[in-house]
Order: sequence, then C-alpha cells, then structure tokens
Amino acid sequence: MLRALQIVFGSLVVAFLILPIIAILPLAFTSSVFLTYPIPSYSLRWFEELVTADVWRLSIINSLIVGGGATLLSTVLGTLAALGLRGNALPLAGLLRTLFLLPMVVPAVVLGVGMQIFLVRLGLASTYPGVIIAHAVLCVPFVVVSVSAALQGIDPAVEKAAMSLGAPPITVFRRVTLPLAVPGVVSGAVFAFATSLDEVVITLFVAGPNQRTLARQMFSSIRENISPTVAAAALLLIVGTLCLAALAALLRRREKPAVA
Amino acid sequence: MSRASVRDRSRAFALVAPLILFLALFFVWPLWTMVTASVVDDAVTKVLPRTAAAMADWDGSDLPPPAVHGALAEDLRTVQDQQALGEAVRRLNSAVSGFRTLLTRTVTAAREASDPATLDLSTIDPRWSEPRFWRAIKEAVPPYTDRNLLAALDLRRDAGGSIVAEEPGAAANRIIMLRTFVIAGSVTLACAAIGLPYAMLAAAASGVMRALLLLAVLLPLWTSLLVRTAAWFILLQQEGLINRALAALGLIDAPLPLIFNRLGVIIAMTHVLLPFMVLPIYSVLIAVPRNLMPAAASLGAGPIRAFWRVLLPLAMPGLMSGCLLVFMVAIGYYITPALVGGANDQMISSVIAFYALGTANWGMAGALGLILLAVTLLLYLVYGRLSRSPQLPGA
Amino acid sequence: MGAFIAFQDVTKKFGAVTVVDHLDLEIAKGEFLSLLGPSGSGKTTILMMLAGFERPSSGSILLADRPITHLPPHRRQMGVVFQNYALFPHMTVAENVAFPLEMQRVPRAEITRRVERALDMVRLSPLKDRKPSQLSGGQQQRVALTRALVFEPDVILMDEPLGALDKQLREHMQLEIRDLHRRLGLTIVFVTHDQSEALTMSDRIAVFNAGKVEQIDTPQAVYDRPRTRFVAEFIGETNLVEGKVVEAGAQQAVVRVGEAALNVSGEVSAGRDVSLSLRPERIRLGKEPAAANALPVTVADCIYHGDHMRLVLKSGPLELVARAERLAGDWAVGTEAVASFDPQDCTVLAS
Ligand SMILES: Nc1ncnc2c1ncn2[C@@H]1O[C@H](COP(=O)(O)OP(=O)(O)O)[C@@H](O)[C@H]1O
Ligand SMILES: [Mg+2]
Repeated sequence: MLRALQIVFGSLVVAFLILPIIAILPLAFTSSVFLTYPIPSYSLRWFEELVTADVWRLSIINSLIVGGGATLLSTVLGTLAALGLRGNALPLAGLLRTLFLLPMVVPAVVLGVGMQIFLVRLGLASTYPGVIIAHAVLCVPFVVVSVSAALQGIDPAVEKAAMSLGAPPITVFRRVTLPLAVPGVVSGAVFAFATSLDEVVITLFVAGPNQRTLARQMFSSIRENISPTVAAAALLLIVGTLCLAALAALLRRREKPAVA
Repeated sequence: MSRASVRDRSRAFALVAPLILFLALFFVWPLWTMVTASVVDDAVTKVLPRTAAAMADWDGSDLPPPAVHGALAEDLRTVQDQQALGEAVRRLNSAVSGFRTLLTRTVTAAREASDPATLDLSTIDPRWSEPRFWRAIKEAVPPYTDRNLLAALDLRRDAGGSIVAEEPGAAANRIIMLRTFVIAGSVTLACAAIGLPYAMLAAAASGVMRALLLLAVLLPLWTSLLVRTAAWFILLQQEGLINRALAALGLIDAPLPLIFNRLGVIIAMTHVLLPFMVLPIYSVLIAVPRNLMPAAASLGAGPIRAFWRVLLPLAMPGLMSGCLLVFMVAIGYYITPALVGGANDQMISSVIAFYALGTANWGMAGALGLILLAVTLLLYLVYGRLSRSPQLPGA
Repeated sequence: MGAFIAFQDVTKKFGAVTVVDHLDLEIAKGEFLSLLGPSGSGKTTILMMLAGFERPSSGSILLADRPITHLPPHRRQMGVVFQNYALFPHMTVAENVAFPLEMQRVPRAEITRRVERALDMVRLSPLKDRKPSQLSGGQQQRVALTRALVFEPDVILMDEPLGALDKQLREHMQLEIRDLHRRLGLTIVFVTHDQSEALTMSDRIAVFNAGKVEQIDTPQAVYDRPRTRFVAEFIGETNLVEGKVVEAGAQQAVVRVGEAALNVSGEVSAGRDVSLSLRPERIRLGKEPAAANALPVTVADCIYHGDHMRLVLKSGPLELVARAERLAGDWAVGTEAVASFDPQDCTVLAS
C-alpha cells in the first residue's frame, strides 16, 4: 500500500519535472502555425525560419558573440581569482568568495537597473562590450566555483613532489597545477556559456536592438506573437545546453580518477 | 611559512585583483548607482546653486526675502547647460505644474535685465508672489531626497514635512510587495510539499532508481529557464496540451483558465524552483545512516512515529535551506510571471522593470530595487549561516 | 669533516605549538636512518624541513657542511617519496619518471634511455604508458621510488612509503628498498611509525616522542638497551619493574624490588627510585636458578600463541610476562618455577 503510493507519487513528480520539457519539442516540427496538438504534419519550416528570418538569424549570431565574449572574459578572470583564493594565503578569503558568488544571488532585475544606469553613463549601453561585460558578471560565479573545486581536488603533495624533483615554482604551475585544473576551467567555461545563452533579464536592460540575443528574441516573441519558431529555438537551446552539460559531466568524470 | 607568506600573499592578491576590480566596477558600482539614483535629487541644486544658498535662511512660510529673487535671477541668467536646465524644469514641474512656462518666461526676462541682482520677479510673472512656487523650489533644492524610498512604501511627506500614508488610490506598491511575498510563499509551500517527500524517496531508493529520480531533478536544472517557461506558456494555453488532455479524459467540459493567472504562475515557478528544494534536502538525507529507520523501528517506533521523530528532524536543516533558497529566488523572479502571469500576478521585479524600461523613472526603479536587494541579501545571509556554505546548488 | 646531513638545534613551531623541539641530529653519507615515533610526533615535519617545504623556526640544517636552511626545495637535489606517492595523475609512468630528468635539462635521447633502464630495474617497463590510476598500490609505490631515484639525488627521503600497502607487499618492498640502499650506496631518511619496519631496515633509528628525540642508536641498541621508558614501551614488549637502587657501580647496580635484589646494568646513583626494563624473551624459566638474577615465581596464566607461549609469572607483588618456546616445557597454571635473567638484559631507564 505504502509502496504503491510511493511509486505513484514518484512517477507523478518525475512526469511533472520532465514532461513539460519533452512535450513542446515535437511542436518544433509542426507544419501548422499553431502550437497545438495534434500536429497536422511534420515539416522543418520553423527551423528554416530560424536561420532565414533576419531577427532570428541575427539573434543566434548575437548569442554566439555575446556568449563567447562573456565566457572568455569570465573564465579568465574567474580562473585567476580561483587560483588566488587557493591555499588561503589571503586574509578575508571567505568574504571575497562570497563577493564572487553574489552575482548569482542578486535579483536579475535589480542588477539590470543598476547596469543600465551605469552603462548609459559610461556610454556602453546598447553596445557589444556593454552586453558582454554584463553577462560576464553573471557568469563569474560559475567559473570561480568550478575552478575552485578542481583546484581543491589537487593533492598538494603532488606539487611538492614536482618541486622536490627539481621544478621551480613556475614550472610546477605550468606542468602540474594547470593541467590538473583544466577540466575545472573547461566545465566552468561551459557553465558560463550556458548561463549567457539563457540570460534574458539583464539583456533586456543593457542591450539595444542590435545586440538582441536568442533568449531575448524568444522572450519578446513569446510575449508578442508566439509561433512554432519559439519551439524550434527551444529545441536548439535544449540540444545545445544538454550537449554542453554532457561535455561538462564527461570532463568531471575524467577529472575524478585523475585526482584520486 | 610565515616568512614566505608575504610573497605568497602578494601573489594571491595579484591573482584575485582583476576579478575584484571587475566586480567592483561592473557589479558593485552599478548596484551603488542604482541605490544613489533613488536618493539623489540634485537636478535643481546643480542649476540653481545661488538660490539654494540664499534660501537656506528662509523658513518656507510666506514669501522669501528679496535676496532670493536676485539669486534666482542670477542663476537663471548664467545657466549654460540647456540639458541640465531642462532636467531641473522637469523636476520642478512634476512638483507644481506651471513651472515650465514660469521658468521659460523668467529666464528670458533675467537675460534681458540690466541689473538682475535687484530684480523683483513678481513683476515678470505674478506667480512669483505665490508661496507654493517658492516652496516647491525650496523642497527640490536639497541634493538628497527620501521621496522615492517613501513612495516605494506608499508613503509621502505632507506639506508640513511629516510622513503620511499615500492616498489609497495612488498606493500600489505595498499591494505588489504583499503579492510578491504571497506568490513566493505559495511557491515555497508547493515546492516543500512536493520536494520533501520526493527527496526522501530519492534518498531511500538505490541504484538505477535513485539515479533516475535525481536525473529528473537535474535535467530541468540544466535546461534553459526560458525554455521551461516557454514550455509552460505553450502547455497552459486554452487550447494547450493540458486542457486538451483533461477534456479528452472527460474530466472537464470547458477549458480551464490556466494561463495569465495566479495558478499558471505558481505551477510554472514551482516547476522551475523544485530542484532548489529537492537538492538540499536530499544532500542532508543521504548523510543519514541507512539503518536509522530500522533502528528506530526496532526500538518500537511505528513508521509514522519514526518519520515524525527521526526522519523529519533530520531532514529539517535541508528543508529550511531549501525553503529559504526557493523563497529568495522566487521573490526576484521576473520572466515567468511576465510571460505566464496576468496583470494581477506581476511581482516586484515587473514593477521595477516597468519603471526602468517603461518610464525611465530611475528614482522609483532604484528605490524598489533597493528594497528587493535588501530583502534578498538578508535571506542570503540567513541561508549562508544555515548551510555554512555560500554556494547555491546546481552551480 | 662533519656529518653529511646535520640538524643543529632546530625548533619548529606552528603558532604556539612546538612540533620539533631543539633537534640535534647527524646523518652520515650512505646511512639508512629511520625516524620512528607515534603519529603526531613531528616526523613528517622534520622530513619536510629537510626537503625544504617547511622552514625551521630556529636553528639550521646543513648538507655536506653547507647551510641549506633557506634553499628552496627544487634546488636541494633530494628525492622525496611521499606518503600517498604523489604521482602526477595526468602523466604516464614514463612521463612521471622522466620529469626530474627534464628538470635537469638532460638531453631527450638520454632521458629515454635512463627512464627505460630505471623502469627495467623495478620491472615496470611493460606498464610505462599507463596512467597512475591504472596501477595497483605496489606498482604506484615502485613508480614513486623510481622517480625519486632516477635523477641520482644525494639523499632519498621517504615518508611512510609503505603505509598504504598490505602486509605481504610491505615486507617485500622493505627488502627491495634495503637492497637498493646497499647496491646504490644511497643516503636514506625513512619515516615510519612501524617499529618492526624500522628495526629490519635501518642502520640507525631515531625514536621521537612529542617533537623530542628519545634515543638515536642502532636497532640492536634501541631494542636491547632502551634508554627511556617511552622507547622501551614503544619498541617491542617489555616488563617494567619499579625499584630502589641500593648499590651503584660502574655501568652496573643492585636494585631492590620488593623482597628481591636484582643485578642490573646502567649508570645510576645509589638511593634513587628507578624503572627497569626486562624483555619477556630474556627470561629463562626453569626448576633451578640459571643466571645472576633468579626469582622464585608461580605461573599465574599461560596463553597459547602457536609458535610460542606467553606466561604470566607472579613473585610476591611482582608480575612478569615471559615468553617461552613451545618445546621449553609444560608450564601449567600453578606451577612453581624459577625465573632467571642476566644483568645486561635488565636495563635501568632514565626517568
Ligand atoms: N602545517 C601545519 N600547521 C599546524 N600544525 C601542523 C602542521 N603540520 C603539522 N602540524 C602538527 O604538528 C604535529 C606533528 O605533525 P607531523 O610532523 O605530521 O607528525 P608525524 O608525521 O610524526 O605524524 C601534529 O600535531 C600536527 O598536527
Ligand atoms: Mg607523518
């Protein structure tokens, strides 16, 4: 009796969690202009729309530009900071760590308002650098967390061993620390890219029409007149992020036995 | 160690410095800018510095002394920055309408006057003999104001300067804040009601079953938030899959109203935030020794008693973290209510976005933003204390 | 010509805690010295100071009469084998072993040759392209050892290198390391908390307790003539007997223990209360007195241990544990006998 209840409950929640995401995917292939079931017949017209219609095509390109830029910026800054935080050489390291995580906590709209006022004053509003910087701020926590975890997994004795075998500090870093941290850096970059790809709110505040990203375009298209292009874009995003997540998971798995 | 640590420390500092600088510049400063936007009110002071100084001794009753007339005429005569003047005029006009024409006329007269210092302004325009115009200037002169912050809480200062409640017709913010807390609270409750038993189920399961249950939580977490909201937008439509399915099962005759209302917002937000509830509880529960429940049973506790007396207290820290986390994230939500909710389901973020994007009223956007920021940081502080780790799950 | 390695009055503090306390230690070239002591006694810290990872709070360390106290680790030419091997997880076995040679800018071709020779020597050549995670514990241990040896360092430092291995493998590796030491004439400083390991492998043993040296001696001397109560109890099993010195001579004395007077070895002054150490296997049990010391005893307990028996003997208030070979007779509980032992086996401990 209890067992049956558990099974029913578990299945219902799993269905609630998973089905909505799966249910909209077939709609990307509908030939109709309505997002309803049953699907009259299948076609790729909405994917065609995605790559041929200017707004969509540009938004995809913008997402790649902004995502690439923000990933690069946040990965470099976050990796350096994670290296600096390592080994507790700094006073107030805990406070700094919290600061680096805060962009994840502050409500997006609040940060958006601040960013908008600030970037307007700097003359960076509605420019690519402005949008990239704003996205990078949001991506930084993911990089710091991911790289810190990788660094924490490195046995300090391994670096000492390298030193005792005649490697000066810079060589230890280049030949031992860095290669062992790379999986963490890569998965941090993956998280950063996925974060930027999905970011709507800040983009709403700081981007002009020329920097409209895919997520931003989806947002306004859902709001104004939804069409199956949104489902097609959603499919693209899901496949994209799942590939990235799989990549990150793969790297994490590879990194595990290496530091054991 | 202590001797090397000066070098270690400076190297560590050199490594974190770029990010500190970056975040100080592009994270802390923007937030600070937003905060100041809500309290700075220097449009008038910047343009009328002499007037501000001359008005310092005037108590605001009746009319100001002649020296103030002269100072105002001098200020208006020498003003160079037309944009700043425009801002000041807009600021004053929003306090007392009529300022626009009054100032335009006065500026022209002041420029033409031979000796502005002794000018009697009421000869240019009779409105200068009405105290309310002068009072408006005096009120606008201080560079800082609590007007926006008070307005964010549906308060204002009356003519005497004491704080009073806004008239009910103009008071909307408290309702919105209350609504924000109600929606976030409902979502938290829904997440707890589903998440607690689900996390217990996952922690009790093993092997493939556990992996499956966890994957079901992680998969949505990895999927774009926008995609999930879009999915609910599509599913909850009048003609959407859910209504179709319910009708096909013969459970309903007419489509249920699921979208653009509170129900839709809560369903969609619960879906989005459920992982934040399940993961903390789960991580607490898997640390519990597996044989604890049988042990409790062997000591004579029935399954219900064992649940109440053993498992629930053990899950409590996770449940508390999960609730705090869900509530904290929920009160700042924008996208989901904006897309799935109706006009009466908009939360504080939507109002902030409206002020900032719709009317360019930075003062109000900043004041409401400051309140949301303060509440969020407070919750985060409690969360950090409770879970002893500043990290959020899923990162 | 001083010692090859010398610690001169070295103290190491972590904050307020003194971990190594005024250490003076000399190690000769080609010597195998074990640092033995319970966990937390400061052995690793001493090794880390020698390797250059920790700096003494005061005092100095000399290598071949040159002070190296402030020399960074990578310029010390010491091969270190760490407790958990510390192999580079991202490099293959061959790359691990080649690393120290690359650091010395040895030409490529020679590196390949020397790595192959070294791996051959420890029979690891077939595994040279594996990653450390694909090796067993014993194989990892051998790689770590090879990596530390391949660049022909002046000194090899090992921190409990065999601690993670099972008993059989550990004993095998003990022999292998002892053999390498002999063949290559290496100077080895070997940290262990396992007394039998220290006894079987070392030229000398330094016994540590709470950051202080208790005794530095050959294995035989440490075992047979422990200087302190700590050493006597930490190494092997012993009977501790309390008594009062009644007569003192050069390197020998008479100590009254209850009714009996025992002839003992050691330098003490008359009238003092002392502790004596008497190893169980040095007690001979018989019907008649057979040595300078002979105590009438009763067998109170007899425990069977396969290859030997342990007997608990009572003599008045005194209780002694003796170890008897199986063939040495049948000692049923209650039997009256005489316990005999020589004065040089009955050591006075410094209090
Ligand atoms: N870096 C350090 N900071 C503070 N205390 C330390 C540090 N390293 C070792 N200790 C302390 O010094 C004492 C001796 O440690 P160690 O040399 O590792 O002992 P052993 O190797 O004999 O077990 C221990 O009590 C340990 O806690
Ligand atoms: Mg140790």
